[in-house]
Amino acid sequence: MKHADALFRWKDPYDLPGTGALFAAAMAENAAFQRRNCRDYDHICAIAGLERGAKLGPGDLHRLPPIPTLYFKRHALRSMPENRLLIRAVSSGTGGVKSRVGFDAGSLRRGLDMSLTMARRHGLLSVKPCHYFILGYQPRRENDTAFSKTGFGFTFFAPALSRTYALVWQDGGYQLDLKAMEKRLIRAAKGTVPIRTIGFPSYTYLLLRGMEERGIHLRMPAGSLITMGGGWKQFEGQKVEKSELYRLARSVLGIGEAQCVEFFGAVEHPILYTTCPRHHFHIPVYSRVLIRDPDTLEPVPEGTPGLVDLLTPMTASMPLLSVMTDDLGVLHPAGTCGCGIEGPWLEILGRVGVRDIVTCAAGAAEYLKGVAP
Amino acid sequence: MILFQGQLYEDRELPRLRGELEVRCLETIASRTIAPEQVISACGVLVERVRRGDYDQVLRPFLADFHISPGQFEAALRLLEPGSLRRKLALELGPGPEDTPLPCPGRAPIQRRRFPLGVLLHIAAGNVDGLPAYSVVEGLLAGNINILKLPSMDRGASLLLLRELAAIEPALKDFVYVFDVPSSDLASLTEFARIAGGVVVWGGDEAVRAARTLAGPDTRVIPWVHKLSFAYVSGEASDGDLAALAKHICETRQLLCSSCQGIFLDTEDMGAVEAFGERFFQILQAENARHAPADMGLRAKASLQLWTEALEAVETGRRVLRGGGAGVTIAPDSRLELSALAGNCWVKPLPRRRIVHVLSPEKGRLQTAGLLCPPEERPALSALLARAGVVRVTWAGDMSRTLPGEAHDGLYPLQLYSRIVEFG
Repeated sequence: MKHADALFRWKDPYDLPGTGALFAAAMAENAAFQRRNCRDYDHICAIAGLERGAKLGPGDLHRLPPIPTLYFKRHALRSMPENRLLIRAVSSGTGGVKSRVGFDAGSLRRGLDMSLTMARRHGLLSVKPCHYFILGYQPRRENDTAFSKTGFGFTFFAPALSRTYALVWQDGGYQLDLKAMEKRLIRAAKGTVPIRTIGFPSYTYLLLRGMEERGIHLRMPAGSLITMGGGWKQFEGQKVEKSELYRLARSVLGIGEAQCVEFFGAVEHPILYTTCPRHHFHIPVYSRVLIRDPDTLEPVPEGTPGLVDLLTPMTASMPLLSVMTDDLGVLHPAGTCGCGIEGPWLEILGRVGVRDIVTCAAGAAEYLKGVAP
Repeated sequence: MILFQGQLYEDRELPRLRGELEVRCLETIASRTIAPEQVISACGVLVERVRRGDYDQVLRPFLADFHISPGQFEAALRLLEPGSLRRKLALELGPGPEDTPLPCPGRAPIQRRRFPLGVLLHIAAGNVDGLPAYSVVEGLLAGNINILKLPSMDRGASLLLLRELAAIEPALKDFVYVFDVPSSDLASLTEFARIAGGVVVWGGDEAVRAARTLAGPDTRVIPWVHKLSFAYVSGEASDGDLAALAKHICETRQLLCSSCQGIFLDTEDMGAVEAFGERFFQILQAENARHAPADMGLRAKASLQLWTEALEAVETGRRVLRGGGAGVTIAPDSRLELSALAGNCWVKPLPRRRIVHVLSPEKGRLQTAGLLCPPEERPALSALLARAGVVRVTWAGDMSRTLPGEAHDGLYPLQLYSRIVEFG
């Protein structure tokens, strides 16, 4: 995977024009590898009418069959023996069905190169220690959802003095314990060590709203960050705007809007998308995004909403080349953000399906029962 | 917004009003009753005003959000007309228990009368087919005090209609409370359920499970869960009948409990299933072109599901026909399942001798069967489908018809919302 290695070591993570040819070469290289080593993938390419040895230039990437995440939930595709997979992860499992993915050493190394470049670019790398507040699951050997892994992994971007978890393992199940978190935040505000929160936006919102209702207004030490991942879908039905969350961050923790960073990624597409100061997800060199027509699945022009198809040559152990998510989105053209990053940016509009059908929110609501009076 | 004794309040008043709710309900039960005729005449005035367009500004977006077509809305309005409500009352609650006193040796016969359950909590979660307000009207007809938890997307239509109802007939004010609380506000929902004698819940399994958790063990939970409906075709179906079925599929977008999800054929011959599937696909595609496209999210979900099925075809033996936003999946199994929705159905073999074996395990999920068959076979096939658990057998094009006086999922709601008290 020499082309992929070169791509993931690229210095400027947003140099899309400079990496167009390299990206296509890396995709072609990976696709050939997957077809040789994963019979199911070879079959899927045949169904999609992609002949073996077909030339895949920068303009041909849409021909790679987009595999729906639903397919990964039902089928474990492998291009390497299980014993070469160093890390296994499962998706957070909307509706109880989860994708099981596994990563080999080469893929993980590329992921690490990417994470460091992105963290450095977005000012997340720091040698200054900090207190972490993780609005997610406390890791356990038995819990291998991607969130518990990334949440924990993220705490290495800056040295951790402490880690406080919102979902704590107690009496055989996870309990939501925001009170302990609140106490520790109050203590941290009196010190000089910056804090970083990481977690689902919904839990972050719940924590901050609860604190504001109790009249708590703190000023966190300089360098503190609020980071969020896992999507906004739990908010559907709560009618909460992102701007309300930023207001709460300022009002309750004294953390400004520019210090609120959001991540986006999926187990089946482990690319780290990070928001720019204008809260937009620009496409990094490691991936390309196609938006597909909701009826025909053909690519649509930039600016048109449709299904989000995420492409990356990062992974060797599985054919994760072109993954069609359950999200509807729109790719905004290059030069329309104004933050300084020139490239196109992805806006997620929501999940496919009948509007108002609760998905992950039901899962979150189960834990909320633990705090109901 | 909150509707509390005929007055509208901001959501921030929730803690105070929630605290007062139980006392208000108890006072009402102790001092007042509501007669069905008061509800019926108020509904009559309301329907007139709706038809006149008085509430279009609020109702039109509501109908779009819930994918309710003008035809479906008109059918829902007919349910609220005085004639319909009187007929419903007579069907479901009459003749009254007072007409059948129970002989008691050595004493005067025991007299019986029907009473409301008391307080009903209506949880109108998710995509309700119809108006959450109608659920409240049913509760009122049985004489109950009604607390309505709005579905999260209801932008005020139910609130408006119920407020108007209480304005038309002020006696209803003490019998209608509407709260716009999210499903995650368990403190409020638990309090409402504690006050209520019955919890009426509309929606999916999650909503019902949540309602059972909220309600105490001594509270009656009345679930109106999502149901599945299908068409059953035996013998040669005409193009006209199939076009009517296709029209029903496209009109409802298969979102209603009564919407056709797929077609079972009375055959074991997969060749016949394939041929029928191809024929129906042509009819469905042509019909779909005459309808406005479904919501993008719905279409995208269907495309994803069918593309996944196409990738899995080698394992499942299914064949997906797709085009023009419509689709037919030809499948060799006989499992009843939800379709991909939005104008995408399945076609499967189900010989009549296996109807009961295949469908009975799903009896809690079955609603309408649209039956297409030679007239002489209709009685026997209808009875077979009914024995399997289906609660409505219709012509294939009429699967989602809404007629005043129809039972609801095989039950009479007003009976469930009341109780019988014996005196003597």
